[in-house]
Amino acid sequence: MYTKVILVKDTDLKREDKTREFYTRLLDYLREASLHEQIQVVRVADIGVYDQGLVVKVLPDKVTYINVQDTDVKKIVDAILSEGKVIEDLVFKPKAKQHRIVLRNCGKIDPESIDDYIASGGYLALKKVLGELGQLKLIDEIKLSGIRGRGGAGYPTWMKWNFAREMNSAEKFVICNADEGDPGAYMDRSVLEGDPHSVIEGLIIAAFAIGASKGYFYIRAEYPLAVERIEKAIKQAYDYGLLGSGILGSSFNLDIDIRLGAGAFVCGEETALISSIEGKRGTPHPRPPYPSVKGLWGKPTVINNVETLANIPVIIAKGGKWFAQIGTQTSKGTKVFAVTGKVKNSGLVEIAMGATLREIVMDICGGTLSGKPIKAVQTGGPSGGVIPEELLDTPVDYENLQKLGSIMGSGGMIVMDDDDCMVDIPKFYLGFCVEESCGKCAPCRIGGFQMLGYLKKISEGRGIPEDLGQLRRIAQAMQKASLCGLGQTASNPVLSTLKYFEDEYNEHILNKRCPAGKCSSLITYTIIEDKCKRCGICFNNCPVKAISGSKEEGYSIAQDKCIKCGQCFDVCKFKAINKK
Amino acid sequence: MNKLSPADLDKMSKAPSDKPKDWIKVGLSSCGIAAGADEVFNFFVEEVKKRNLQIEIKKCGCAGMCYAEPLVEVNVEGLPSVIYGSVNKDIATKILEKHVISKMLVNDYIFEVLI
Repeated sequence: MYTKVILVKDTDLKREDKTREFYTRLLDYLREASLHEQIQVVRVADIGVYDQGLVVKVLPDKVTYINVQDTDVKKIVDAILSEGKVIEDLVFKPKAKQHRIVLRNCGKIDPESIDDYIASGGYLALKKVLGELGQLKLIDEIKLSGIRGRGGAGYPTWMKWNFAREMNSAEKFVICNADEGDPGAYMDRSVLEGDPHSVIEGLIIAAFAIGASKGYFYIRAEYPLAVERIEKAIKQAYDYGLLGSGILGSSFNLDIDIRLGAGAFVCGEETALISSIEGKRGTPHPRPPYPSVKGLWGKPTVINNVETLANIPVIIAKGGKWFAQIGTQTSKGTKVFAVTGKVKNSGLVEIAMGATLREIVMDICGGTLSGKPIKAVQTGGPSGGVIPEELLDTPVDYENLQKLGSIMGSGGMIVMDDDDCMVDIPKFYLGFCVEESCGKCAPCRIGGFQMLGYLKKISEGRGIPEDLGQLRRIAQAMQKASLCGLGQTASNPVLSTLKYFEDEYNEHILNKRCPAGKCSSLITYTIIEDKCKRCGICFNNCPVKAISGSKEEGYSIAQDKCIKCGQCFDVCKFKAINKK
Repeated sequence: MNKLSPADLDKMSKAPSDKPKDWIKVGLSSCGIAAGADEVFNFFVEEVKKRNLQIEIKKCGCAGMCYAEPLVEVNVEGLPSVIYGSVNKDIATKILEKHVISKMLVNDYIFEVLI
């Protein structure tokens, strides 16, 4: 039986992979020292540390050594055998670490078993709330924790709850907003699918805080598995008497229903969401009155995001004071980001507020997939902005991201490298907002359409310098005059790219060139005669027969027929196709 | 099902589990299923029955490492609990034969994260 395990991985991407070589060396050493039956060496696919040379991790001690040299083998094995001794100058001290509060049970418990959730301490917070705290102390605890809404706007949760609590109304409602719509964001889905009971417990506590007897899950219909798991979890909670009348033997009653969103982005906005539940067209309404005063069916209503609710049971169990220690001055707790795009490890990352974007992208997610430098990071989806590489050392919190012209948003984070065009990106997001605009107010309906027209014009090489001024004017008008958050923030991607990447816009306008090689109207493909081996693979793959010639005479691309699909560029093994 | 009282809840959260100590967890959220976790889960269930192994096969949600789905966490007494990534039937067979039966970690498929 092995007593220790050594995991090995070469994390240096610039040279040939030395994992196997080092693995053999270590194995040989252990055999010579007759330790190979005591210590197992294992090559791993990922060791959680990036760009630190040869990395070795010792289990069960959980000690990681970085930049290990061949000569260190003896030292490391001696340290392992000495129990407790650590080689100080090789040990890895992580700058950034994930801190899992919301994702505490995701990947650990069976989401379809309420017993699993209870066995990991679930519903004890509800018990504490009903038995000890009562409404006022509960809201005090949430106030102490400093938690702010995780749906994007960052409004203090306790204030929402308190407004609704103070309202004198026979009927009140709580709603869980699970209409996650930002492209690239899926942390709510993962929480609903991986730990549905934590969200239900959060919702029951919110209902108790304001005195509501009816709650809704508003989930987008595109999340069938999440809906299925929440349905199952609600049924289990009813069976155990955690929903329904007389919850846990108290006098508190709550019924929860599910409503499916039909796929409109704007229905994630709270007033539009309310209209949708009421069976009306999902269009937003001017605020005030805020939903906590006059919401669903005209009654006080609290709407909280999935992630906010998933935090609540932990805050109650461990105390608001504990929660307030995590994070920055203004933003407490953690945030889950869905990191996607040109990143090595795409997935969910939960970090304490105040970690920097660079730590998230480089240290936790391992940098870009291509190994190319990062150009920018986009946060907040279509309502957010693009943050350039120079500013990646900014600590993440609500205020800092806003200062940079982006927003926290629901937690989408898209990593971009040199192949991403800063005119194309806002064009994509704006296109999304134009599609999703409900059309009720003119600034959003017309402004978005106009801006998209300018961006298309620029990306097709027909832009003039005055267009940038026009873009800015329309963007500001939309921010000021739109009815809801969708229109007010839809111009953020345009404004932030104009702020940080104006050069790239000018390159498109003045020199009719797309530096990233993305805008198809501005690139031409030609064959470099010197490099061409006349294999004919481009000729065979061109979908529009724009390439002519033969193996004897060589090939050429007819520019008038070329649709710029890039097929020839991708299939050429000799890099003989020039793209510019 | 009987309705729970606060005392029941306390008992359930503290009760020591009498389930076997060895288990395999397969991440079955949308991201895992899209990458083929369903198949891997069913494969484990069938193989464990066929080979008559004393190990429990469990479901769990997404652990966040979506780039390495399907993810399989294996906990066998005497070995550290580890997560295998990008698991298919071949790797699953290796996990059963090497990790579960021969009590040795399998080379090349482990994904370690710092949490």
